[in-house]
Amino acid sequence: MIGSHRLRRLAPLGVAAVLALALAACAQSYPNTTFTPHSDLGRSIDFLWNRLMFFGTIVFVLVEGALIYVVIRYRRRSEDVTPPQTHGHVLLEITWTLIPAAILAFIAVPTVRTIFQTQAPAPANSLVIEVYGHQWWWEFHYPQYNFTTANEIYIPKGRTVDLVLRSKDVIHSFWVPQLAGKRDAIPNHTNHIWFTPDSNMATTVWNGFCTEYCGDSHGEMHFRVVTVNPDQFASWVTRQQAPGFFSPPPAPAAPAAPAAGATPAAPAAPTPAAPTATPAQLAAYILPRAQVPDYAIPHTPFPDAIKFDDKLQGDPAAGEKLFVGAGTCNACHTVAGNPLAVGMIGPNLTHVGSRIAIAAGMYVNDKPHLSRWIKNARLMKSGVLMPTLGKGQYDPQTKATTPSGLSDQQVADLVAYLQALK
Amino acid sequence: MATTVIDTIPAHLKPFVPSPTPATVTTEKSTIWGWLTTTDHKKIGTLYLFTALFFFLVGGLEAEIIRAQLGGPNRHLVSAETYNQIFTMHGTTMIFLAIMPLSAAFFNFIIPLQIGARDVAFPRLNAFSYWVYLFGGLFISIPILFGHGPNGGWFGYVPLTTRAYSAGINIDFWVIGLQILGISSLAAGFNFITTIINLRAPGMSLMRMPVFTWMAFVVQFMVILAFPVITIALFFLMMDRFFGTQFYEVAAGGDPLLWQHLFWIFGHPEVYILILPAFGLVSEVLPTFSKKPLFGYPVMVYSGILIGFLGFGVWAHHMFAVGMGPVADSVFGVTTMLIAIPTGVKIFNWIGTIAQGQFKATSASLFCVGMVALFTIGGISGVMHSSPPADLQQTDSYFIVAHFHYVMFGGSIMGLFGGIYYYFPKFFGRLLNEKLGKWHFWLTFIGMNLTFFPMHFSGMLGMPRRIYTYDAGQGWEVFNHISTIGAYLLAVATAIFIYNFFKSRVSGPAAGPNPWGAGTLEWTIPSPPPVYNFAVLPTVTSRYPLWEGKQADIEGARINQQSGKTAEQLGIVIPYSTIKPLLAAAFMIIMFSGLIVGHWLILVGAAATVLALYGWLTSPLEPEHH
Repeated sequence: MIGSHRLRRLAPLGVAAVLALALAACAQSYPNTTFTPHSDLGRSIDFLWNRLMFFGTIVFVLVEGALIYVVIRYRRRSEDVTPPQTHGHVLLEITWTLIPAAILAFIAVPTVRTIFQTQAPAPANSLVIEVYGHQWWWEFHYPQYNFTTANEIYIPKGRTVDLVLRSKDVIHSFWVPQLAGKRDAIPNHTNHIWFTPDSNMATTVWNGFCTEYCGDSHGEMHFRVVTVNPDQFASWVTRQQAPGFFSPPPAPAAPAAPAAGATPAAPAAPTPAAPTATPAQLAAYILPRAQVPDYAIPHTPFPDAIKFDDKLQGDPAAGEKLFVGAGTCNACHTVAGNPLAVGMIGPNLTHVGSRIAIAAGMYVNDKPHLSRWIKNARLMKSGVLMPTLGKGQYDPQTKATTPSGLSDQQVADLVAYLQALK
Repeated sequence: MATTVIDTIPAHLKPFVPSPTPATVTTEKSTIWGWLTTTDHKKIGTLYLFTALFFFLVGGLEAEIIRAQLGGPNRHLVSAETYNQIFTMHGTTMIFLAIMPLSAAFFNFIIPLQIGARDVAFPRLNAFSYWVYLFGGLFISIPILFGHGPNGGWFGYVPLTTRAYSAGINIDFWVIGLQILGISSLAAGFNFITTIINLRAPGMSLMRMPVFTWMAFVVQFMVILAFPVITIALFFLMMDRFFGTQFYEVAAGGDPLLWQHLFWIFGHPEVYILILPAFGLVSEVLPTFSKKPLFGYPVMVYSGILIGFLGFGVWAHHMFAVGMGPVADSVFGVTTMLIAIPTGVKIFNWIGTIAQGQFKATSASLFCVGMVALFTIGGISGVMHSSPPADLQQTDSYFIVAHFHYVMFGGSIMGLFGGIYYYFPKFFGRLLNEKLGKWHFWLTFIGMNLTFFPMHFSGMLGMPRRIYTYDAGQGWEVFNHISTIGAYLLAVATAIFIYNFFKSRVSGPAAGPNPWGAGTLEWTIPSPPPVYNFAVLPTVTSRYPLWEGKQADIEGARINQQSGKTAEQLGIVIPYSTIKPLLAAAFMIIMFSGLIVGHWLILVGAAATVLALYGWLTSPLEPEHH
């Protein structure tokens, strides 16, 4: 008796809970939702989801309804009643075996059809992007345009993108919930997933995540996908193909810049190869920072333990020398165009200054975060290979203090250099 | 001793009175040595129960830390390294150290009573299984206290868990610990299969066996078929980590998918190993509290067997994102859908059992109805990711976390709690407090839904699994906050249960042989049962001897209920107590830990294990028959 009263009281509570959830769902925006797909693959999946949801809801209502009904209708009112001792009902049991089987047929047929459609080879003329998972960042190579970048890709709307997934260490998984489902990046395997972003979608940024547990910082292995118009994409590609260059106007290397040679600057006599970029490349497209939605800008606070004087002004030219000199950044990082900076272990930094985030989407790409990252990356992200570079900094992996290392001024110089690599 | 008299009137016709019967519960004087050396299936079952509940609390504490960390964005209550150890151990603990052994507690205590046997087929092997489980459980659990807990996930995917990417000893404890726990499960599996096949009372044909025993029977076959696969997979990994073989070594051409296939050929049957015992318990509890036999008994048995078979043919649905190709995806998608049919039949038959019955809402029956309600949700979401393209959005997101907690918590744990309320009187001779039990149920039911239902949303809104924190502004805050509140509610519910459990064990009202008016054999003997269980072995003529039995059943039950005699007086031979199974288990753990400590210890441990086994095998099981 008590139980059934409670059940009756519980019913409105359950309804209230569902309503509260629904309200909560309307009150917020969901930047990573799978319910508003922006590609053909996303919509194929969404079609199946809706069908599953339709049948699932029917089954849920019928089964839970029947359960609540029998529990209330056949509750014990007296201890003296013996119910009929039935043992079963063959026709009934056959019926409730066949009905689910029929429902499953309605799910299985479109499922198999969708599997074969979406796993066919990608159409010719697709944009190929080779994706390499690393602990804990993403390397992206555009073989048709011959450049490499990290943790941030641009794709043109309306053109099929064929992602070729591989891993350089453990298993990772590539997921942009708004665009497509997941596909694993597995060492010794090559995987594909392809989809066509809608041509009428917004020019904006989508968050991507690693969804296969891959060790310490699996939770901080993000990336960004920027969907742009085809002309913007073409322009962006010319920038990415250019060597790493300083974007400030006085760049001495820009050819045909009138009167540029008159400046007495250009002390960089030993500069290995003067970065050269065409004016077109200098002016090439990147998504303006104002158009980057808030959800794509990381809010992760940096640890207070790393002190840095944010007022220090850095010199990009000094930073460039440090990059291939005392900083030894080039041991792991590449800056295209600089023959001394061809490291392959860490992310390609050729145009790092144009990226939204650093550390695979963990921190926003600005001076306070970048300087602390250079000073002590290992304190900012668990398990990273990037060494602790700041002088006197505690390295949580070796559990020792770095005796030598970069001064804050040197870090500021490096930051100025990296930020200039637009 | 017992004054409840079984006469010709079926027990369920009598009014339900919380036992006016024995004023005191007489239990044997128990000593620590007695527990260490016991070969009595009931004592071993009790040990399993306490140990599994302990590990349930440990796994629950880990869950609370996880929820506290994820309650809001960018929280750093624990570091990424610690979080990874905690979620790895939460899964490992709940699966291998809480749910499986909680089922084992019921297998041990209840199966011999349900089939009318005096013990299991191999009492000493049974003790060995328990001690291996206890020591293996401690072996795998203790390192986290020192910051060296396993951190590769309960699924331990290579190459992350190979030496190249997990150089520390964390994964060593996991590989060795699971290997040890597998020995325990395998030994128990063979033991119970032998018991169920050979020790059934006269007349207890397979189709008269209670459904709990039937489900346990299916589970044991799944154990002996599935565990060897994980044993091999772990053996390869162990060889790779300790002896430099290259089964999974990527640089040497190893294939990481080998591990995934082997792991899930074990891992999916494991899911049914975890859920079928709860199915069995629900199939005992609902008839009793509906005063009506189980609806469609043969179909319930066949569907359980079918689930067992199909459970081996669906493993790759854990791998739809790995790129197996359209044919494999289609095949495994469809086989997975097929499993919904026998599972659905079970749900309908439980509802059919209650229908037209006399349903009484007790703690036990409420937990079982809750199990049916919640498992249904887990089943529906399960069908949702049986469709491989749809699964590409769902897999490794919180949607999956929601799904399997509806199955594992809503299904297994709710069913097992129902079993605890139902069988507590048989274990300890006393009833649990019903009022606290209902508080426990409602808080668990609400807390469980608050915790796990929002995860469906956070998952479909893009939140990946196994992340130690998340950034603000991703649309996941509200759902995670609700989940965390639900988890705290579950902690309160569990605290009420623990209080009730320990208080009622000492001072609960005496239960009598059959407090619920149930119909199966275990209720024909005193609570707690005497060491020999049945003074006279029963002759069985129906599925519910106390409800439908002939005069002979009733007469046997009367004798069994009223016998206050000792085994000696009755001339029943009881196996000797012996410490040797415990020693063999302990020495075996020492042998295994030699892999970490030093290879010399392997030899020492192996020698000691052989000696203990020699002593065990050369000493008689029980006194000579007179």
